[in-house]
Amino acid sequence: MIRVNNITKSFGNEENKTEVLKGISLTVADEDFVVILGASGSGKSTLLNVMSGLEKPDTGEVLYDDKDITKLSDAGLTEFRKETVGFIFQQYYLLPHLNVDKNVKLGAELIGSRDYKKMLDAVGLGEKLHKYPHELSGGEQQRVSVARALAKKPKVLFLDEPTGALDEATGRMVLDYISSLQKEYHFTIVCVTHNLNIAEMAGTVIRMNSGKVIETYENKQRKTAYEIGW
Amino acid sequence: MVISLKDSLKLLGIFIMSCCAVTVCAMFLNYNMDLAELEPQISDGMVRVFYDAQVMTGKVVIAVCGGCLLVTTVILLFFYIRNYINTHKKELGILKALGYSNFKIAGSFWVFGLSVLVGTAAGYGIALTLMPGFYRVQNKEKILPEFSIHFHPLPALCLTVLPAALFALLSVLYSYRKLKTPVLELLREKTTVRVRKKREGKKAGKELPAQKELPFLSELKRSTLGASPALVFFIGFAAFCYSSMMQMAFSMDDLASVFMAAMMIIIGIVLACTSLFLAITSVVNGNKKTIAMLRVFGYSEKACSSSILGGYRPVAYIGFVIGTIYQYMLLKIMVTIVFADVDIVPEYHFDFKAFGIVLVSFAILYELVMWRYTEKLKKVSIKEVMLES
Repeated sequence: MIRVNNITKSFGNEENKTEVLKGISLTVADEDFVVILGASGSGKSTLLNVMSGLEKPDTGEVLYDDKDITKLSDAGLTEFRKETVGFIFQQYYLLPHLNVDKNVKLGAELIGSRDYKKMLDAVGLGEKLHKYPHELSGGEQQRVSVARALAKKPKVLFLDEPTGALDEATGRMVLDYISSLQKEYHFTIVCVTHNLNIAEMAGTVIRMNSGKVIETYENKQRKTAYEIGW
Repeated sequence: MVISLKDSLKLLGIFIMSCCAVTVCAMFLNYNMDLAELEPQISDGMVRVFYDAQVMTGKVVIAVCGGCLLVTTVILLFFYIRNYINTHKKELGILKALGYSNFKIAGSFWVFGLSVLVGTAAGYGIALTLMPGFYRVQNKEKILPEFSIHFHPLPALCLTVLPAALFALLSVLYSYRKLKTPVLELLREKTTVRVRKKREGKKAGKELPAQKELPFLSELKRSTLGASPALVFFIGFAAFCYSSMMQMAFSMDDLASVFMAAMMIIIGIVLACTSLFLAITSVVNGNKKTIAMLRVFGYSEKACSSSILGGYRPVAYIGFVIGTIYQYMLLKIMVTIVFADVDIVPEYHFDFKAFGIVLVSFAILYELVMWRYTEKLKKVSIKEVMLES
């Protein structure tokens, strides 16, 4: 379980300070699919960065099973990211000089996993092991980044606008892969997006505005990627 | 237009290389031209042998040093232009989309020739300053008749304005070739990467042996090296310059003056440091995204720096070995061929002491630079790198 308690975060200097997170508190249950919804500038990406240990908050705590990651040193945070979380970004961030196989190996080798190739099969890219990122479509690149994130078997998967750079059909396909892999591997998903429709796939939806949580609700009936609107 | 005079002044590496090349070439060329005027006065025997040896030395130094630095400066210029186009894709794409022709945009790259002009002019100025001392030590035994320094306008022009014009032209032509990328690719800042594909499958019915699977960080180290051969060249070149110039300076006690040795040490250190800093800075800047991604996934700082910078260490030491062989061969040729008939020139043997001193000092310098950049890598902010994209 992840517990976020009274997180604040500001950017800029004393004269030009922008408060991006204003005392955020929330809870994410294990194996839940949480969508954090918000318009551009609502602070959702900063919240994701703080929750995943990429950034430290000004005040407050982020507890993973009672372990406060805001108190960890840089080396401690590196270890935490290695053992606990996986990331999927809007821009994929694949390493351009490495082929698909090696990009996924980046994640797998951290935990000494040798069966990472089955993750590529799971996202339908088993035949494209030797292709380089520039030889793949946007959807294929995002599927590689899904395989890379899951190859290290994370407990929590953070998604930052995962379909933001994809067309509807490809976006649905990527979400469907993520959703079905969650059922198989039982990880928790925290996804930030401005796409209202993706929220229909989530178990819990957290809506943000101007650095605050304005609404939290649970979906009684979760839809699949092919049932939601776009 | 996109390229300003300020951009040209940023080409510090080109300035330094052209400055060093012209300093050396101008001194020897001027000396040889003044020496040529003495020829009718040169009698046969010992004086003639000494005269011929000096003329030949000048020719060898101009050809080897000038040629080597010219080629390196051209490679450096191409590297800068490619880098400039890669980091200004959007602006160049907008210009092309607005209707500017490739040739018109490429035309503005001529300003890169200005850094060569500044470098060659500075180099010629330094050469003029050093010439009195150089002339004195070249004829300290007074074997040749007394002669004074003359200013030769044509070589001066050929060593300053001509290289600048040549480099301006090369800049335009090379950038014209590089600007042939389609507009949309420039606007979308599409990255083209150099990848060395392994041969896959069967060839001519023959099964290829299975490739050994390397650990991820070793694969990354290898692909970082393969991604930019120019950087590999510059790191090797830095080590080569340091090794050859320093060893030559230390081992030619009996062959040349302290003046020559000091000049070689300075040029060696300047060229090595310039190339090394330029290359390593490019390696770090070009791999920021990779470093950020490794850290996001939980790789340690040590693993990040070793996978990005570690691959260049063998290249540096190979460059050092080549530099050692080069300087040995050059001095051996000079002594056995150029100075073959001069009695006062002692026999040349490989100087193990100089080799040891230079190797240790190089190792210290290289590891200090790597340590400095490893510290820099630690400061790469994951968030800033993400926001840049």
